[in-house]
Amino acid sequence: MFWHYIDLSWRSLKRTPMVSTLMVLAIAIGIGVTMTTLSVYHMMSADPIPAKSKQLFAVQLQSMDDGDGWWTSDDLPYQLSFPDAENLYQDRAAKAQAPMLRTGFAVHLGDARTKPQLMGARATSRDFFSMFNAQFVHGGAWREQADKDAMKQVVIERSLSEELYGQQSPVGKTLYLDNHVFEVVGVVAPVTRHIKFYDLNNGAFRKPERIFVPFSLIRELELPSWGNSNGWKREEIKSYQDKLNSEIYWLQYWVELDNDEQKQQYSDYLRNYIDQQKQLGRFTREHPKFSLRDVNQWMTYNKVVSEDNKILVLLSFMFLAVCLANILGLLLAKFMRRAPEVGVRRALGASKTQVFMQHLVEVALLGSLGGVLGIFLAQLSLWGVRESYSAYSDLATMDALMLISAPVIAIIACVVAGLLPAWQVCRTNPAYYLKTQ
Amino acid sequence: MSELKPMINALLRSKIGAVLLLVQVAITLAIVSNAAFMISDRLAYLNQPTGYDESAIFSFRVNNFDPDINLVQQYALDEQAIRSLDGVVDVAMTNWVPLSGSGDSSSMHTSPPPEMGRGVRAAYQLTSDSALNTLGATLIAGRNFRADEVVHSDNRDNLPTTAIVTKDLAEEMFPDESALGKTVYQGQGALKIIGVIDTIKGPWLDDSRPANVIFFPFNYADSRAEFIVRTEAHKRAQVMAQIEELLLNNESQRVIYRIEGLDESKAAYMARDRLVMRMLIVLIVVLVLVTALGIFGLTLFNISKRTKQIGTRRALGARRSAIVRYFLVENALVASVGIVLGAGLAMLLGQQLMTVFSLPSLSWTFVLASATFMLIMSLIAAWAPAQRAANIEPSIATRSI
Repeated sequence: MFWHYIDLSWRSLKRTPMVSTLMVLAIAIGIGVTMTTLSVYHMMSADPIPAKSKQLFAVQLQSMDDGDGWWTSDDLPYQLSFPDAENLYQDRAAKAQAPMLRTGFAVHLGDARTKPQLMGARATSRDFFSMFNAQFVHGGAWREQADKDAMKQVVIERSLSEELYGQQSPVGKTLYLDNHVFEVVGVVAPVTRHIKFYDLNNGAFRKPERIFVPFSLIRELELPSWGNSNGWKREEIKSYQDKLNSEIYWLQYWVELDNDEQKQQYSDYLRNYIDQQKQLGRFTREHPKFSLRDVNQWMTYNKVVSEDNKILVLLSFMFLAVCLANILGLLLAKFMRRAPEVGVRRALGASKTQVFMQHLVEVALLGSLGGVLGIFLAQLSLWGVRESYSAYSDLATMDALMLISAPVIAIIACVVAGLLPAWQVCRTNPAYYLKTQ
Repeated sequence: MSELKPMINALLRSKIGAVLLLVQVAITLAIVSNAAFMISDRLAYLNQPTGYDESAIFSFRVNNFDPDINLVQQYALDEQAIRSLDGVVDVAMTNWVPLSGSGDSSSMHTSPPPEMGRGVRAAYQLTSDSALNTLGATLIAGRNFRADEVVHSDNRDNLPTTAIVTKDLAEEMFPDESALGKTVYQGQGALKIIGVIDTIKGPWLDDSRPANVIFFPFNYADSRAEFIVRTEAHKRAQVMAQIEELLLNNESQRVIYRIEGLDESKAAYMARDRLVMRMLIVLIVVLVLVTALGIFGLTLFNISKRTKQIGTRRALGARRSAIVRYFLVENALVASVGIVLGAGLAMLLGQQLMTVFSLPSLSWTFVLASATFMLIMSLIAAWAPAQRAANIEPSIATRSI
């Protein structure tokens, strides 16, 4: 019966090519617009590390004095000061922990062949790689020794390795960062694809750093911060040492905690740490708060999806509604014009349900055609988005879920729009149309 | 308008078509007026005057990685070399590039700690006496820095004691008096205002106070530095192409990067806003087209349903123009109700957008303009079908199907 209905629908579409084309176009445009904004929204709000997003937590400490607020919703600074990051890392109270800083170097091979290029780098601990599921292509993370003794070892991303060393493994080779000689110990595949969730300071959609060096080198090499530094306290900062000792917030800190129990333990540890710092006189706040946010909470807290994107999604769904009202009108016109034919079918014994179903199938067919065409339109406009804003180059794409959603939304929307016209036509009184008018 | 009453009766009898049209017009109006409002908001932001001749200025950054370079000396040599290039008007070393989205800011106070006085946040530029000429800033009071006031140093032991501020910052810090000669405090550091310049924008255009800028005569020689160069506009590209080689010849242990025109820096900073604006424009253009098509289709449908009725009217003596008028007036009637509903919906949506998001409140003029536009559009869309209705032969009234 279903295939028969499909066949009937197809004939019906061919009989009124103009109206059918208009309807398919209306759905396609509606779906195209909606899927464009929805895809960008979906990619922005997608879990960047589904396997571990519940185990990774960003640490925040309210270390400023009473009376000093912050612009966040809960008055906690986004980043940590260097003393806190170093203290927490020394205690290693979590299963794994990664203090980190965005810095950068002039990268070259120390010969005249390669012109030094300036590149961002991440100074962090060796735990970073296991915590954020980095896949090593060659070699591995540096040893704990390197973290402790500020050894000049470096892990680079695959694309950089290919740029500098070609296809062979660079493990054991030297790499110049500024004029420091580093030993390459590992090559990793990109850690995150579109959202640099572990450091949202300079835009969530910036390209992640492709160079990783031990955290302890910050002190050793006086690495500059390429990210944000925010101060609250009146401090005289004249030298790098002053900045290291200062209360300026400029580092990120992540911990890995497997379950609620570990999270509880780490919370207790942080409470103790705060008390201890209060006794030392560093924290003077009456009740300093702290916070552990998992990856998705962290992205929401940092408002990764901008208002503009939400407004665009809202407007495009309203747009879809207009397209549906449009289709509804056209369907009504088309179906009612066919009333005489339906009258004959009814007189020959077709039940109301059958007539109703037949028309819904026709509408669904329209929806799926419109949905497929809509995907093409959406691809076209996503291409336009990528072209006009390079930061969205990895975001303005449709993943499998979105590709499936497009026709599904189209069919559901069309069936909803088709309910009324189909109902109207199946109520047709056969006798009326069998008469000559 | 004796036709109105029967027309309304006819509409009430076949409600669905009219309701659909009404809904379309209403939602479209709500979207179009809000989107148009957002677009105009963005346009004002994108086209705001910056105070610079953007096509004559460019900037670049230097990163020195040889710790043994005497940076103060090196940067002085660099400036000299750049200044001698053909087409260069002036050059200034600085800590940030205007309109680029990255810079330094700090609170400036009218009194030193602990009382502090009035505090105003301002972007502070560490630069030299050549900055005003390079940026093309106009002094409106006081004077420029003297060369001997400029501190050249690779540390912060010796700090400047004078400052130049924009008119905007001057007015905010000293609302009722001249800022000239006053002292402002950045922490303990006291700086005497020796000059006030006309409005120029700082690094952040989306800041609530984009033109709060203060200049310090401090050529701070860090391993990373930024340079702003003013050229004769038509020679800018040529100068930009020479910069990297020139500076690497001076000293090779460094990287020269982000050589970009001020217009390019601004465009990059505003790229996301421009994208959103474009998306909104595409959205409303397509939406208006779809709605126009919808009105076209529905009117056509109405007419085809009433072919016999129209034929009868024609047979009874109605002129073609009367038929055209009938459908146009009917359309205008429905569209007007839709527009009234849509205006309410638009304000409601605007209200929601304002409370949920940080948008300014929708102004009535946009709703009014969009409504007028929608009415005209609906009449145009109904025009062709109405013409077709007028061409229906009176003889159809007597024919049976």
